[in-house]
Amino acid sequence: MKRKRVAASGIVDAPLETKSQDKARQEGIASLAGGRLKAYDPGADNVGKFLELLGRRISRPLAVSMTACVHCGMCAESCHYFLARPDDPTMTPVYKADQIRRVFKRHIDWTGRLVPWWVHAESPRTDEDLNRLKNVVFGACSACRRCTLNCPMGVDTALLVRFTRGLLTELGIVPEGVFNVSRDEWETGNQMAVTEEDFLETLQWMKDELQAELGTTAVDIPVDRPDCDVLYTLNPREIKFDPRSIANAAKVFHIAGERWTLPKWGWDQTNFGLFSGDDNLGAYVARNVYEAAVRLRAKKIVISECGHGYRSTRWEGYNWAGYAQNLPTESVVVTLERYLREGRIQVDPARNVLPVTFHDSCNIARSGDLVEEPRRVLRAVCADFREMHPNGRENFCCTGGGGLLSMAEYRPLRLEVAKIKAEQLKATGAKLVCTMCHNCIDGLNDVIKHYGLDMKVVQVLDLVSSALVIPRGDSGEARGPR
Amino acid sequence: MSSQLRILENEVQIAALLFMAVVYVVRLAWIFRFKSRKENTFPAGSEAAGIGYSMMNIAMPWAMESTRKRPLFYAQFVIFHLGVAAAISATFIIPYAPGLFRIPAAVRLFQAIIGAACLVGVTRLVRRLTVPAIRLISTVDDYLSLLLMIFFLAAGVLAVPNDTAKGEGPLILFFALTAFFLVYVPFSKICHYLYYPFTRYFLGRTMGHRGTLPPKGGRGSGTRPGLTTEKGEAR
Repeated sequence: MKRKRVAASGIVDAPLETKSQDKARQEGIASLAGGRLKAYDPGADNVGKFLELLGRRISRPLAVSMTACVHCGMCAESCHYFLARPDDPTMTPVYKADQIRRVFKRHIDWTGRLVPWWVHAESPRTDEDLNRLKNVVFGACSACRRCTLNCPMGVDTALLVRFTRGLLTELGIVPEGVFNVSRDEWETGNQMAVTEEDFLETLQWMKDELQAELGTTAVDIPVDRPDCDVLYTLNPREIKFDPRSIANAAKVFHIAGERWTLPKWGWDQTNFGLFSGDDNLGAYVARNVYEAAVRLRAKKIVISECGHGYRSTRWEGYNWAGYAQNLPTESVVVTLERYLREGRIQVDPARNVLPVTFHDSCNIARSGDLVEEPRRVLRAVCADFREMHPNGRENFCCTGGGGLLSMAEYRPLRLEVAKIKAEQLKATGAKLVCTMCHNCIDGLNDVIKHYGLDMKVVQVLDLVSSALVIPRGDSGEARGPR
Repeated sequence: MSSQLRILENEVQIAALLFMAVVYVVRLAWIFRFKSRKENTFPAGSEAAGIGYSMMNIAMPWAMESTRKRPLFYAQFVIFHLGVAAAISATFIIPYAPGLFRIPAAVRLFQAIIGAACLVGVTRLVRRLTVPAIRLISTVDDYLSLLLMIFFLAAGVLAVPNDTAKGEGPLILFFALTAFFLVYVPFSKICHYLYYPFTRYFLGRTMGHRGTLPPKGGRGSGTRPGLTTEKGEAR
C-alpha cells in the first residue's frame, strides 16, 4: 500500500519483532505445533491468506460498518489519541478504520473493485504493508469504543479494529507482547502462566493471613468445592502481584455468609482473545470458566474486578464459544452492591476519608452494562466520592486498554496520549482513583507516574474491605481503620 | 413546456428511479449475504429499546458528545438534510403537483431551505479541503458527492419556481442532475442512508441487550440522581 506521509506518530514504522515466536518454534510448544497459536512465516503468502480470511470472516455487522462511514470526521474528537495529537491526522478513528476499510473496498465492496482510486480502495501488497496495518490497529487504538458511541452513523470502529487484529493474529503479524500472552494462555490456561502450585500456595498464604487478621479459622478460601452458590474467578494479576484482593474478596464472602469456591482449573476470567481478536483463544479461555462452573455445580459465576475479563466472560465469551449461557454471570461489584442492599455486610464510610473518584473501565461501562452499580457501592463506603468528567459511558480510556500494556513498542505514544486522562484525573482533586479493572490499575498507575499526579489507584474491593464492619463474635472485636 | 423537458421530468426520472431501486435491492441482498451471529447471553437490557434508541439517535443531539459539544455542526447537518429532502420532494412536486409551486410562499420556503442547505454544502466542502484530518480521509467520491449535492441544491433553488415561460434551463439542469444522481447514488457514499438502519440496528441490538443503551442515567453520565441517599447509603 502506498503511504501518505503526514505528521504521523512514527509508530506505523515499528518493525515486526519475532524473537519470541522463533523461540517458541524452536521449543516446539504444543499450542504452536497444534496450530492453535500462530507464528509468522516470512515464506508464506501472507497477503493472500489475509485477503482470504477477510472475505471468509466478515459478518453482517462488520460489513455495514465497513460501508456506512461517510468520512464526516465526527469521531475525531472522541478519541484521546487525536485529542492529544490534534496535528496528527492519522490519529482519527476514521483514518485508522480506513486502513482496513480500503482493503474491504478493494476486494469485497462494489465501487472499489471497479474503480479503486475513486474511493481510496487499496490492497496490501507485501508483509511490510501488513506490519504497518498491525502498528495502526494494535498501536494507535485501545479499542475503547468511544468513537463508536459518537458516530452519527453508528459505525463500530472498535469492532473493525478487533476484526483486523484477529486477521493479523492468524498470520503471526502481532506485537511480541500479544504473542507471548496468547502463548501463555493457550499453554497454561491463564495469561500469566501461573502454575497450579503457585496458585494454591498463594491462596494458602492469603488464607493464613486472613485467619490471623480475623482471629478465626472459620474463614476459608475454598478451591474446587462443589455445589456452591458462587464460583469466583480471578485475574492472574491477583495471584502474581495483588493477592490482597483475593483476601479482600474472601473476607467479604465470609462476612456475608456466602457459599463460594474458586476452581482449580478455569479460574482465569481474563481473556487475551478480546485484545488479539482471536475468537478461538477467546472461546477456549471462556469455556474453561463456564465448564468449571458446570463441573462444580455452581449456581453463579462471579467475576473479580477486571474490565476486559468482565466483558469477555459475561458477554463475548459465550458468543465466541457458541455456548448458550446457563448460569447467571456477574461482576463482584454487583455482588457487593447486593450484599449492601440486603444488609449482609455493614460498612462505615468514615473509614475511607480520602477523596475518591471513579474511573469507568471502557469494557464495563461502554461495552458492558455497569455504570451505576460501582457508584452505589462507593457512595456507601466512602465519605467523599466525587465524579470525574466525562464519566460513565463517556469516560476516557485509562490508555492501557486493548492489551496495550503488553505492547512495549507503543508505550511512548500511549503515555503521550495519556495526557487527556491525566488532565481528567487532576481536575477531580481526588487522592484516590478507584477502578474495577486490573488493567486500568496498571494503565492509571503509568499515567499517574508519568504526569506526576498525587494520587493512588485502588479498587472497589479495597475500599469495601477498609470500610467493612466486622461483626463481633467473628473476629472477637470490631475492625478498626487500616 | 418542451417535449424534451416533459420526457426528462417523467420517463427519464422513472427509468432512473427504477434503476436505483433495482440496484438497492441487489445491494440489500449483498448485505444479507454476510452472516449474522446468534446472541448466547442472558440480556441485561432490552434489545428493542436499544434498537429504538439507536435509530432515534439522529434526532437526539444531546445523546452523543460529538453532537452535544458542536451544536452548530449538528444544525448544519439538519439544514443540509432538510434541504436535500426538499429538493427531492421538488422533483416529484414539479411534474405531479405543480399547483403547489404556484403559491409564492411555498416557493420561497422551498428556496430558503434548499438554498440554506446549499450554503451548508459549500461550508462542508471548505472544511473537507482545509481541515488536514478530514482531507486525509477524503476520497474522490467524497468530493464529487458533495460537489454534486451543491450543484443539485443550487439547481433546485432555480428550478422550484417552475416557471418555463422564463426559460427551461434551470428545470432541465435540475432534472438532468436528478437523473444522474439516481443512477450514481447507489455506487457512492450518498447511499449511506441505506446503511444507517443496519449500523444503528446492530449497535442498538448489541448495546440494548447489554443494557448500555438507552443510557440508564441519561446523557451518558455515570450518575443518576436519586439512586443513593444523602448520607451516601446505597438503596
